[in-house]
Amino acid sequence: MSRDTTDLADRRTLLKLTGGAGLVALSGCLSTTDDGGDGSDGSDGDDGSDGDDGSDGSDDGSDSDDSTEAYEVGMVDSQTGSLSAFGERNQRGVNLALSRVNEVGINGRDLDIVVEDSESENQGGIAAAQKLVNQDGVPFLIGAVGSGVSLAIYESVVEGSDVVQLSQNSTGLNLTEFPGLLRMSPSGRSQSLALSNLISDDGYDEVAITYVNNDYGQSLTDAFVNAYDGEIVYNTPHDQDQQSYSSVISEMNSSGADAWLFITYQAEFATMVNEVYSSGYEAQFYGADSVSGDNVLENTPEGSIEEMKIVVPSAPVEEENYQSFADAFESEYGQQPTSWAAYAYDCVINAALAIQAADEFTGEALQDTVRRVSGPEGETVTSFEAASEILADGGGPDDVDYQGVSGPIDFDENGDPVGFLQVLEVQDHAYEGIDFIEG
Amino acid sequence: MTVLGYLANGLVFSSIIVLGSIGLSLVYSIADFANFAHGDTMTIGAYSALVTFGAVGGLGGAVLGLPYGFFVALVVGIAAAAVVAVATEKLIYEPLDVDSIGLLITSIGIAFIYRAVIQIRFGSDFTRFDLQPLRPIEALVPYGVRITLHDVAIFGSAVVLVVGLHVLLQYTDLGRKMRAMADNPDLARVSGIRTKRVKLWTWVIGAGLAGAGGVFLGLFNQLAPRMGFNLLLVIFAAVILGGIGSVYGAMAGGFLIGMINQLTPFFSNVVEALPIRPNWLATVIENMITIEYANAIAFVIMVVVLLVRPNGIAGEAAT
Repeated sequence: MSRDTTDLADRRTLLKLTGGAGLVALSGCLSTTDDGGDGSDGSDGDDGSDGDDGSDGSDDGSDSDDSTEAYEVGMVDSQTGSLSAFGERNQRGVNLALSRVNEVGINGRDLDIVVEDSESENQGGIAAAQKLVNQDGVPFLIGAVGSGVSLAIYESVVEGSDVVQLSQNSTGLNLTEFPGLLRMSPSGRSQSLALSNLISDDGYDEVAITYVNNDYGQSLTDAFVNAYDGEIVYNTPHDQDQQSYSSVISEMNSSGADAWLFITYQAEFATMVNEVYSSGYEAQFYGADSVSGDNVLENTPEGSIEEMKIVVPSAPVEEENYQSFADAFESEYGQQPTSWAAYAYDCVINAALAIQAADEFTGEALQDTVRRVSGPEGETVTSFEAASEILADGGGPDDVDYQGVSGPIDFDENGDPVGFLQVLEVQDHAYEGIDFIEG
Repeated sequence: MTVLGYLANGLVFSSIIVLGSIGLSLVYSIADFANFAHGDTMTIGAYSALVTFGAVGGLGGAVLGLPYGFFVALVVGIAAAAVVAVATEKLIYEPLDVDSIGLLITSIGIAFIYRAVIQIRFGSDFTRFDLQPLRPIEALVPYGVRITLHDVAIFGSAVVLVVGLHVLLQYTDLGRKMRAMADNPDLARVSGIRTKRVKLWTWVIGAGLAGAGGVFLGLFNQLAPRMGFNLLLVIFAAVILGGIGSVYGAMAGGFLIGMINQLTPFFSNVVEALPIRPNWLATVIENMITIEYANAIAFVIMVVVLLVRPNGIAGEAAT
C-alpha cells in the first residue's frame, strides 16, 4: 500500500514538473518575436544565391548545423517597471529593425530576438540575462535600459564569458569603465558638459539641481558639478515613484537660484512641473534627456515649461537615413520615433551585421566583428541592405562602416559610441531643436 | 515657504493616505488579513474615474475647479473599486480555505493581476485627468500657503468621507454590527449577526474609500499603473502606526505619516536653526533630516511610537 502511494506521489510530482517545464518553455515562446513561418520559405531560395556570392567561407560552420533555422539573439528590455516607457519605445525600434533585416536575411537565415523582461530592476535583469545566456545560449545580448541594470547584467552574467553585450539605452557614466560592455547611446558625460556650458552661456551663475537617486542621476550630476563654473546653491537627490515632490520644489525655490536643473525621469519630472505650476513658482528650467518626452508635454499644463532647455542624445535628424527611418516608423506606429527607438533599431542592425560578418555564430567571433562592422573603416553605408550586400560580395567586417540612424556609432575602446547631442527648447509647449553638439 | 504652507501641503497629502489606510485597516479588522492588493484597488478606482470622466465630460458647471462630471467619475471610481474588491472576495478569497498568511500571499498575486490588467489596457506610461491645472489660490499666497482649489477639494471630500464613515460606524445598525464583528466574530455570529453580509459590506466600504483615495491621488499627482502600489508601503506604515485593525487609529496614523512626510523640509530648517553642540553632531543631524529621507524619517517616528505603544496609537481601543 505504502509503495503504491509513493508511486502515485512520484507520478504527480513528475506531472507537475513537466507541466511547469512546459509552461516555462511556452512563456519563452510568448516573448519571442516569431517570424519563422515566412522566413523559412525565403531562406531556401536565398541559400543558393548566397553560395554563388562566395560568402560560403563564412557560412560553412553554421550551415552544417541547420541552415534554415533563424539566428537567435537575446534582448533584456524594461517591459514593466519604472522604465517601461523606454521598453515600449525600444520594442517599436526592434520590430522595425527585425523586419528590415528579415526582408534581406542573414546568409539566407532569419534573425530572431528573444526578449526577456528586466522589470527595470537589477535582479530581474540578471534573471532575464541568465535565462537568455544559459538556457537559450544566445551569443549576443542586447540589454539593458537602465545603466544600473546593464552593469549588473555585465558583472554577474556576461563578464568572463564571450557573450557580446550591447546596451540599447544606458547613458550612465560608469559604463565607460567597462570596455567589454558596449552601448548604443552616448555617455551622459557629454550631456553634463553640454548642460554646464549651456547654463553658463545663458548667463546663470547659480543653479539648483535635483536628481534621481540612482547611478544615472548621481553620475550625471557629479559630472555636471565638476564641469560647472558657477555656484551650485542646491543639490539634492529624490527617490523615484514618489507621489509628491512638493518638498523638493519648495526647497529649490527657497534656494534662490533662477536656473533649475532636473536630472530625473519623465514621470517624476511631470509631477514636479505640475507642482511648480500649482505652487506658482517661476524659474528657467534645464534638463537631461530623460525628462523630455511627449508624455511630459501631454501631462503638464500649457506654458508651464516654456523656454525650458534640454540636452538630448540625438539622432542626426537631418541625415537622410534617419528621415527614412522616421517615415517608416511613423507609417508603422503613427508617431515620430524617439532617439531611444533609434538606438534599439541600431542595436539590432549592428547585431545582424556582426553575425553576417562573423565566421561562425559564437560569442568569440561576434566580439571581433561587432565593433568592426560599424567602425570607421570601410565603405560608408546607411542601411542593413547595403551593408549586407557588401558582406555578401565577399567583404570583411572592415569593408563596411554602418552609419546608424542614431549616429555614426564608431564604438571607441571603452565601448562608447560617438554620439550627437541636440539642444531642445520648449516653444509653444513643443520641443524645437535649436542647436547640435557633437559628443 | 512658511510653516503654514507645509502644514497645508501635509493636510492634502494626509487626506489621500487616510482614505487608503482606513480601508486597509477595516478589511484587516473584519476579514482578518493584510490585503496587499489594497494599493492596486486604489489604482482601479483612479483608472475607472479616468475612463468615466473621459466619457461623460464636464457636464456644465464646476465646484472648486472641478467640473460636475468629475464628481460623477469619482462616484464611478468608488463603485468600480468596491465591485472589483467584492468580486475578488467572492471568487477568490472566500473559496480559498487558507489561513491569514495564505490570504496575504494570495492578495500579493491579486495585486499583480490588477496591475497587469490596467497595464494591458492603458499601457505603462503615466497620464492625468483631462482637467485644466490650476494656479495657487491668490488670497493664500501672502501667508506662504500655495495650494490650489483642487487641493481644497481633495481635503474637503476626504473630510466628508471620513465623517460619513464615523457616522456609519457609530450611529447605524451596520456600523454596530461591524464593530461587534471586529471585536469578536464568533460572539457576533452567535448573537445573530449575519457575519458574511457584514464582511461584504466591509469590503464595499474599504475598497470604496480606497477607490476615492486613488481618484484623489490621480488628481493630486498623476495616474500610472504603479501609483497605488507605490503608496502601499506608506499606507501600511500609517495603519501600523495607528494600530492595525482600528479605523480611528488608521485615520490618526495616516494623518501623522502624511504630515511628517510633507513637513520634513520644515524640520530640516528647524534643525539648522537650532544651536546644537558639538558641531559634528549638528552636521550629522542636518544630513539625516533632509527631504531625501522624508519617508525614512516617517518610519523612524513610527518605530519610536511602536516602542512606546506596541499596539499602535489606538491599539487597545475597539474599532
